[in-house]
Amino acid sequence: MRALAFKARVLFATRFAEMAEYRAEVVIWMLSGTLSLVMMLVWMAQAAAAPGGQIRGYSAPEFATYFLSTWLVSQLLVVWVSHELDFQIRQGTLSPQLLRPVDPMWLHVASHVAERLVRIVPLLVMVGLFTWLSGASFTREWWAYPAALGLAALGFSVRFLYEYAIGLLAFWTESSASFQEVVWLVYAALGGMFAPLAFYPEWVQRVAVWTPFPYMLGLPAQLLAGKATLAQAGRGALVLLVWLAVFWVVRLIVWRVGLRKYGAVGA
Amino acid sequence: MTGDRGGAGDAAVRVRDLRKGYVVHEKEPGFLGSLRSFVSRKSRVVEAVRGVSFDLAPGEVVGFLGPNGAGKTTTLKMLSGLLHPSGGEVRVAGFEPGRRENAFLRQITLVMGQKQQLIWDLPALDSFLVNQAIYEIPDAQFRATMAEFTEVLGLEGILKKQVRKLSLGERMKCELAAALLHRPKVLFLDEPTIGLDVNMQESVRAFVQDYNVRHNATVMLTSHYMADVTALARRILVIDRGEVVFDGDLARLAEQGGGGKTVRLQLRRPATPEELGRFGSEVRVDGLSAELTVPRALVSERAAALLAELDVADLTVEDPSIESVMASLFGARAGQAGQPERTPEPA
Repeated sequence: MRALAFKARVLFATRFAEMAEYRAEVVIWMLSGTLSLVMMLVWMAQAAAAPGGQIRGYSAPEFATYFLSTWLVSQLLVVWVSHELDFQIRQGTLSPQLLRPVDPMWLHVASHVAERLVRIVPLLVMVGLFTWLSGASFTREWWAYPAALGLAALGFSVRFLYEYAIGLLAFWTESSASFQEVVWLVYAALGGMFAPLAFYPEWVQRVAVWTPFPYMLGLPAQLLAGKATLAQAGRGALVLLVWLAVFWVVRLIVWRVGLRKYGAVGA
Repeated sequence: MTGDRGGAGDAAVRVRDLRKGYVVHEKEPGFLGSLRSFVSRKSRVVEAVRGVSFDLAPGEVVGFLGPNGAGKTTTLKMLSGLLHPSGGEVRVAGFEPGRRENAFLRQITLVMGQKQQLIWDLPALDSFLVNQAIYEIPDAQFRATMAEFTEVLGLEGILKKQVRKLSLGERMKCELAAALLHRPKVLFLDEPTIGLDVNMQESVRAFVQDYNVRHNATVMLTSHYMADVTALARRILVIDRGEVVFDGDLARLAEQGGGGKTVRLQLRRPATPEELGRFGSEVRVDGLSAELTVPRALVSERAAALLAELDVADLTVEDPSIESVMASLFGARAGQAGQPERTPEPA
């Protein structure tokens, strides 16, 4: 147990030092992921022009709060592991990691967690700035914040595992990046990045509840916006836990089978 | 679960009838070729390793030689668990490498190239600390090993520099240190001195030699620099087109490669190649210096004749360089009909 704690501490400290070297790039990267903010401007303008200043119960400030919350949560869910795995498998740079007695997944986990810590301060500054500019107003219910953070943590874990499995498809294909792009589109759409899920046709909503996406992105955003209950958060957490177990097994199977296909080319 | 040590005997590495085939996709060049390939992609299986067998004893240093595409790197990757064999049996330190058990990975290392383990943006010392944690190296052992490596490799002054700011040679030294920090018992070194200057090559050779002696480690080394092989290895394995074509010591390799010795002459009066051709083959004349190859069995007789019949100031007899032995060995095999092709590097 002590050895495990020591490993975790050293891996995290090293990855944090590495990510801190790229702090400027992390901030620029955050600014590049502003789809939610663009959608915020579109929907705010539509609401302002609509009769009664509302669309399906959302006023312009409420759209601002929802989309800013979506942006904040999506920043906590950022995962780039599939791109790294795709590169490492195709270029053979996975080989040195396979020679060490630790699952390479934990090195990627350490990188992502460390990056989140580097990201958090500029993220909060930007949220404050955009809140002031857009007139958004977050919920005053204290429990919504830990609940949203918990769902975001579960959502990150789910997303990390399925993105990991997607990256591992490079064992079989020339590149797994195209799979990742398709899945991202579904994640963004059903997660509520383009519009709240309630705005979609009913059949889409019925399909969406069987996926993890509304619970990892839309639900925590709705909690921050004061439009979801603690009971809904609890149900969402249960759904995410089931998906976490599913993707844990999927990742493990894809990893084990894929390693037999590995060509270790280039390194 | 630990590996099945049954059948491994006392060998550090035991390989029997090892095979590896790759599926290689083929495409004609140009736009039409791309279209044809898009509709129906052609592929074929290339046998990179074809029934290789050998044993390595604990503490043994073996040079693993062969031309590009012969199957050296593929074999090393199978021995270190990176590639799964298509057939045959491998045991390294008593383990089946393909299972990649942690206990196995703690006993081996594979060094390939100069960008492997080190974290590019941080000082090398950070990478060493990561390896200490991953390999669960006790503090006392870590400090002792670092002290040993710092002394032998001359790491003083470079451990706290960012890796990306190290010279190629400095980086290679740090890569070696990172790869051996956990004191593995079996080392697979694939071109460990490639791209390094002569001094740095010497330094890496001395380090490997020192590590072998101190830790009784088994070393399997591939290199295109024959100086690496002659300095470190007493036994040579030669692989060509996926098959082991020689297994023995350097002297025997020289015999098999050509069977001749090189006689160098310093003459007082010039001699023509035709004159010298009576005493041996492959005659080269450069002013008053000359060189010819003489069959081993006739060396004494021919040397005496040269001294008697020509005005010789100095005469030396040497084994042929290993480069020329290898060239003649592979040249002879290339001339044989029905040989399988070599696989493209770095498969």
